[in-house]
Amino acid sequence: MHRYTWRTLIRELALFALAALWWIPLYFLVTIALKPDLEALASPLSFPSQIELGNFGTAWTEGSLGRALANSVILTVGTVVLLVALGSLCAYTIARRAGAMSTTLYLLFVIGIILPFQLGLVPTYAALRELGLVGTYLGLILFYTGVWMPFSVFLYTGFARALPRDYEEAARVDGASQLRIFWRVVFPLLRPVTGTVAIFTGLIIWNDFFLALIFLSGTDNTPLPVAVYSFVAEFASRWNLVFAAVIVALLPALCFFVVAQRQLIRGFTGGIKT
Amino acid sequence: MAPVTFSNVSKTYPDGTRALVGFELDIADGELVVFVGPSGCGKTTALRMVAGLEEVTDGEIRIGDRVVNDLAPQDRDVAMVFQNYALYPHMSVFDNIAFPLRCQRVPKREIRERVQQAAALLGLEEQLGRRPRHLSGGQRQRVAMGRAIVRQPQVFLMDEPLSNLDAKLRVQMRSEITRLQEELGVTTIFVTHDQVEAMTMGDRIAVLRRGVLQQHGPPELLYDEPANLFVAEFIGSPAMNLFRGRLENDGSGLACAIGEQRVPLPEHTLARRLGLAAYADRELAVGIRPEHLLDARSSDPALPRLRGDVKFDEALPPERLVYATVEAPPVVTEDVLELAQDVDAAAVERLEELAQERFVLACARFDITASPPPRGPFEFAVAVDRLHFFDLETGAAIR
Ligand SMILES: Nc1ncnc2c1ncn2[C@@H]1O[C@H](COP(=O)(O)OP(=O)(O)O)[C@@H](O)[C@H]1O
Ligand SMILES: [Mg+2]
Repeated sequence: MHRYTWRTLIRELALFALAALWWIPLYFLVTIALKPDLEALASPLSFPSQIELGNFGTAWTEGSLGRALANSVILTVGTVVLLVALGSLCAYTIARRAGAMSTTLYLLFVIGIILPFQLGLVPTYAALRELGLVGTYLGLILFYTGVWMPFSVFLYTGFARALPRDYEEAARVDGASQLRIFWRVVFPLLRPVTGTVAIFTGLIIWNDFFLALIFLSGTDNTPLPVAVYSFVAEFASRWNLVFAAVIVALLPALCFFVVAQRQLIRGFTGGIKT
Repeated sequence: MAPVTFSNVSKTYPDGTRALVGFELDIADGELVVFVGPSGCGKTTALRMVAGLEEVTDGEIRIGDRVVNDLAPQDRDVAMVFQNYALYPHMSVFDNIAFPLRCQRVPKREIRERVQQAAALLGLEEQLGRRPRHLSGGQRQRVAMGRAIVRQPQVFLMDEPLSNLDAKLRVQMRSEITRLQEELGVTTIFVTHDQVEAMTMGDRIAVLRRGVLQQHGPPELLYDEPANLFVAEFIGSPAMNLFRGRLENDGSGLACAIGEQRVPLPEHTLARRLGLAAYADRELAVGIRPEHLLDARSSDPALPRLRGDVKFDEALPPERLVYATVEAPPVVTEDVLELAQDVDAAAVERLEELAQERFVLACARFDITASPPPRGPFEFAVAVDRLHFFDLETGAAIR
């Protein structure tokens, strides 16, 4: 039993204070984004004297954030769909086949997690350029998929190995084809991992700046982080607009994370409920 | 619907476990056969081989006139109810039952009709929209049945489908399954480790032990004429009383010595068991079912007597189980020990203790209306025609 004493109270207050530190940057982000032009430069740290919601609209149109948002969605969704569809199928095969081939394949993927993708960046870039895929959605989607596939396969394999075989056996006796067994029985049972893979890689790709800059800069296909970056270069003197653009870029990811948080944790901790 | 034939079927697992050895059995079209035996005797293995989930190491399994050894489960047209039901947890009851039909690409309207029909047959109409995890054990069991019957397969395979239910529900489902099977007329193999379930459900019972078929036949045959000690001990509850005895020729004919007591065997008994002649002056196992140990106070005075020491009785209307020690060495062969092992380790110990004391705790089944026998020395009448005799070495019945 714990009794609530003065010491507990003090400890709690200290922890709250510590946690508040994380809110400071967010506080400045929001307050500056809401200030009128001049005030943002003159007294950036003060509380806004006047709330300027119009900043968001300006940032949206000036920075073509609409197009950038669409680009981000296409890149993220495209990659995540591939990671889920191919990763689960591949992991299922690895999990259900005993033998040297499947072990080797699995090891290759594990190595893929360990090795930094930067090692292969230059040759892959060259190859994609040869194929005419640099600057296209498809090129970057393929690259992302390659980079994150080991992670996807790794998570799916662990889960698929623990999946009881009874359901598949029941489905076989029920007369289901191999593909139907996978898509109708196994894949739905892998849902917790699908959630984790989708959310985790989705957030990373949504926020990716580096690869998007390398593969897409100079085209209209750049996603939000790159678009915001260009925006900074263009509007360096108007921090209130820059910060408003950052908020616009952050918001979808933030909402998504809040909604999907539980799913994310469940996928990592595993276990299926029957 | 089709007959199922096992011809000399064996199964050896990759780790060397011999789960089934030289299994021979013909199952007629529409018959319900129960495979019964202690856990680990190969029942599930046999069933899974029919389903195609395990490869046949040796021999041939036929469904109808097709050899199915190399056929994928998908192509065998059998339906299986798994011990844990294996209901698809992410599908509604409707989708679970409809699944086999969807695999066959049955038109949507027909699927709905047939699922409704199966649901009605099993009393599941109200549950169709629910997920398996929201169902009770009995309802899940029914859904598993529904998934099996909706397809009208050649063969039903059921692996201990009732073992996860509570006692009352088990009895109810037992008769429900028998009724369904009769109605549908589908050849069925039903696996259980519970001999009572086997006795009440099967047209025919196959008793397995360590992968070897011990005996098969209708329940009465197994009960009245067990082929060996194992079947004798396994079938029937309370189990058959077994004594180590000796056949002696005392000039007037053969008698069976049980401890210090002698049970004379009349001519007509010997005529039914011609094999006994070869056992004169040899030891053997003598078995008698509880209902064939009678109350001497009220039975035919011509019957031979067996004295015992009544220890306690259990009233279990309409009968009374009377337990008495009889001074005689018990039968402690491997078969008997294995069955005791199946109950619990303590049972084995008890048996071994008794063996040292050279007592058998015999059970007699009396009518509840008769006055209970007093504690202490008591005489039983032996229905001598119903005695069973077994070879002590092989365990085989002496006929
Ligand atoms: N996949 C397997 N690999 C190795 N041995 C197995 C396997 N499945 C079952 N066995 C063994 O085969 C024997 C028969 O098992 P099983 O058919 O499951 O028995 P039952 O259903 O009668 O309890 C047991 O000794 C069991 O340990
Ligand atoms: Mg079993």
